[in-house]
Amino acid sequence: MKTHMKHILIAGLFLLALAGSSALAQIRVTKSAGTKSGIDLTGIQAAGDQASALFMTTLREDLVRSGWFTITGRGQGQFRALGSVSLRGGSLRVECQLYSTAASRALMSQSYDHAANDARRLAHRVADDIVYAATGRKGIASGRIAMVGNASGHKELYLCDADGGNLVQLTSDRTVSIAPKWSPDGRQLLYTSFLKRFPDVYLVTLQSGNRTAIANYPGLNTGAAMSPDGKDVALILSKDGNPELYVKNLRSGRLTRITETPRAAEASPSWSPDGQRIVYVSDQTGKPHLYAVSRSGGRPERLPGRGSENVAPDWGRNGLIAFCSRTGGNYHVMVLDPRTGETRQISSGYGDFEDPSWAPDGRHIVCSHAQNYRSRVIILDIMGDTPVALTDYKGDWMSPAWSPE
Amino acid sequence: MKKFKSLLIVCLCAGVALSTTGCGKKKKGGLRDGDIGGLTGTDIYRNPLGARPGEDMEYARQFEPVYFAYDSSQVDASERGKIEGVAESLRRSANTGVIVEGHCDERGSREYNMALGERRALAVRAYLIGLGIDGSRIQTKSFGEESPSAPGHDEESWRLNRRAEFVLFY
Repeated sequence: MKTHMKHILIAGLFLLALAGSSALAQIRVTKSAGTKSGIDLTGIQAAGDQASALFMTTLREDLVRSGWFTITGRGQGQFRALGSVSLRGGSLRVECQLYSTAASRALMSQSYDHAANDARRLAHRVADDIVYAATGRKGIASGRIAMVGNASGHKELYLCDADGGNLVQLTSDRTVSIAPKWSPDGRQLLYTSFLKRFPDVYLVTLQSGNRTAIANYPGLNTGAAMSPDGKDVALILSKDGNPELYVKNLRSGRLTRITETPRAAEASPSWSPDGQRIVYVSDQTGKPHLYAVSRSGGRPERLPGRGSENVAPDWGRNGLIAFCSRTGGNYHVMVLDPRTGETRQISSGYGDFEDPSWAPDGRHIVCSHAQNYRSRVIILDIMGDTPVALTDYKGDWMSPAWSPE
Repeated sequence: MKKFKSLLIVCLCAGVALSTTGCGKKKKGGLRDGDIGGLTGTDIYRNPLGARPGEDMEYARQFEPVYFAYDSSQVDASERGKIEGVAESLRRSANTGVIVEGHCDERGSREYNMALGERRALAVRAYLIGLGIDGSRIQTKSFGEESPSAPGHDEESWRLNRRAEFVLFY
């Protein structure tokens, strides 16, 4: 069997594994088998202008970052891209065909036309199309990451591309803004802000900049996460005398109380991919641990977790729950398969790794890494690639959330 | 007024349910541990919060903060005198309300610390209610770990940051 076929097969197995029952075990198998294919980009003829050059650099970096490729020299590698990049007026035109060395038929053949001053964004799109054509998986380059930064002296929300570029400050409220979470369509962000002096939950529509308070009850309003169908929000409220988990319907405004734990606090809800269950944090045993409950309430089930504390869960669309576990005095990112109870530690090294959020490929995880009291945002790979720092900007960066697309 | 009435009813109901807490009907003197909300961390968390204050005049730092043990929202015996001082002040000026701010040290999950800070503020609120202060005068606000008072990263700073602060409003 030709090598690249083997690689595609492995990628396919990986996909199947994620849909099957022991995804974590399969990830290990896949990892040991090796997952990277060589790709030869020398067949793309790029013009000499700045925008075309920036496009090519970004494309190369994105393909490496995807985790599936190494860039090879001419005539090497299992994949070969042909095409052209040129500037016409204010527009960058890209032609791209992707071939595997095994078959003569193109795996992909696309034309692009995009504003030249946005060459990086176009490169992200092309990179994701190549990843999809070669592996059948969603890429991560076109996604965006929302996070909290304090460089201005206040905690404000920021957005950046998946490679850390194109940083935009979203709020300028000069108060405390925390805990951003994406809507499932990637058009809105939910977060908690002290804009009106108390912690309230806001919903921002990114394109219009329109912002509405969706929970400003007496006491605490925080931890909001939108259901996969976009109709409900799970959140933590204390209006009835104690922090508890609720579900609020966005259209009717109706509130359903999910937990009733007068002796405990709840935090950090996240929805299962089918929207039927919610994973959250509760300290009813005296320490915070993970629980899962039906979206309509009922008896919560304690989930296994290794550490003395298990917090900040993010239930990915691959069915796996990324969370943060306190082990040996530090916080590390773990991944739990709730169907088998198997848990694996993903982060390693010195410092605290917190607030994990799945990338759309179900392979990468963005999280914060605090070391010597400085916090930055990094990207982890559950298949073992070296972590990559996302933020190299001044100030502390935390609570990242990867957009769904 | 309607809001206030329904709040009073809820308060009274809670008072009946927890007959020893005696919400709003506190007998004078002779407080025992079992009598007072905020000590055992159990049924005190059933007092719904009243409507938030408007943009009133706020006065911070009139009182000593109440300090808490790591990962705990129980009011220690050594801290109760501070809350009693606040209750006394509230009794003297009937038009005054108080926001109890709950804070955590920097360790642990940010989101969980928002809930823990709220539990601390609610514990102090329950203690005030136990001392006879009407719950409608007491708001809670959690800052989690977002607003430390001591900037250090050591045990002493952490101890000072695990606190509830009182902000009076008129």
